[in-house]
Amino acid sequence: MGSVSFDVYPGEFVSIVGPSGCGKTTLLKIIAGLLPESEGDIIFDNEMFDPSREVGFVFQKALLLNWRKVLDNVLLPIEILKLDKKKYVQKAIDLLELVGLKGFENSYPNELSGGMQQRVSLARALIHDPKLILMDEPFGALDAITREKMNLELQRIWADSKKTILFITHEINEAVFLSDRVVVLSARPSRMVGAMDIEFERPRTLEVRTSPKFGEHAAEVYKMLEIT
Amino acid sequence: MAKSGLDRVRKTLSPVLYFLIFVVIWQLIVIIFNIKEFVLPSPITVFRHLFDSEIAVKYHWWRHIGATLMEVIVSFALTAVLGISIAILITWSKLFNQLISPIIILFNSLPKIALAPLFLIWFGYGFIPNIMVAFLVAFFPVVINTVAGLNDVDEDLLDLVRYLNASKKDIFLKIRIPNSLPYIFAGLKISATMCVVGSIVGEFIAAEKGLGYLLRDAQAFIDTPTMFACLLLLSAIGITLFNTIGLLEKVSMPWNTNEVQK
Repeated sequence: MGSVSFDVYPGEFVSIVGPSGCGKTTLLKIIAGLLPESEGDIIFDNEMFDPSREVGFVFQKALLLNWRKVLDNVLLPIEILKLDKKKYVQKAIDLLELVGLKGFENSYPNELSGGMQQRVSLARALIHDPKLILMDEPFGALDAITREKMNLELQRIWADSKKTILFITHEINEAVFLSDRVVVLSARPSRMVGAMDIEFERPRTLEVRTSPKFGEHAAEVYKMLEIT
Repeated sequence: MAKSGLDRVRKTLSPVLYFLIFVVIWQLIVIIFNIKEFVLPSPITVFRHLFDSEIAVKYHWWRHIGATLMEVIVSFALTAVLGISIAILITWSKLFNQLISPIIILFNSLPKIALAPLFLIWFGYGFIPNIMVAFLVAFFPVVINTVAGLNDVDEDLLDLVRYLNASKKDIFLKIRIPNSLPYIFAGLKISATMCVVGSIVGEFIAAEKGLGYLLRDAQAFIDTPTMFACLLLLSAIGITLFNTIGLLEKVSMPWNTNEVQK
């Protein structure tokens, strides 16, 4: 990976867009402490940070444990972090309500649809109250209709939870629609080619995508990616 | 609800029905072709050997069933506990894996039944050598299946708990072991049948009781009905053990049955 440097402010929604092989996932894994950075630092609130406490990770696959009911899947990080599980049960129930899965606490994952499973994994990423949510193409495996619905839902959940989100996608429209800022990476050599602020009002509706300004933003990203 | 109840009745009845049809055809063949009893006894003759109080009493069925059942159960328990434990150790520690895997592969390549005569010399007569043979025959499927299950975990799933600094113990207890349950049960089902085979082979070689012993003893007198009765009892033991494991599988993995019912 080449040099990448950008700031993310508290409560911001930042997307990273780039073609496959540009190192988007690698970047997230470095932030989460899963891969060592060879050079450079992740500075968090002006200090080095402990990813296990400050990061919630949502993967492309929902990665739920089949043998656990939905509620226990959400509570998994609490168990791993050796926190008092009893104190978090109510929070898990509230989070499931936030992601629109009220009443599914005692279902098993294989009783849920793909979109619902991804909602559970979002609740799981929020349970230990991390400041930063990393999302690695979370809706990549969903069909187009479910995906649009999830984009709207994510915007609402993000606004309610006041988390900072770093969101990876290769869907340019998705990135422009969701983000306060879009960071563009290129592949071979993998490096950062630009960043762009998006200043539509919140909450955004799907209509925003038909506005001329939206088209301009998307066109600019295409240009940065040298797709013309 | 009523339909699923009916389905269940049909599910449990159909094996019984098949068995009855099989028995009727068997009986008819014996009658129609006038087959001699020492070649192929009729099912009625076989059942009389098992249940007719006057005939059955001289065979001491319970004594032999008890001996074989004991061997099968003990060897199976040994297989399950040791097989699963060793599989966990192999996946837990690279060093242990390097030390033990060559031995396991070497032993597995041996025709294990051929070791039975040797066990006769080492351990003497009866119970101990018989469960040793059964254990050796049945042990490997459990180990191999469990190791496969422990390793067949999505790499991303491991990342999910690794960034939370999960301990190795937690990764095993919360992810690898529950993930391997379907594999473990598949292995146990294979090994249950093999435990019956191993026990019988042991009894063939050296024993003074057990269905394998009785089978060979009856063969010496060309007592074919008794041999068939033994075979019937042996398959009953096998089927019971197999179904018990199946039941245990359903109870311990409720999330799986949900999927099947859908």
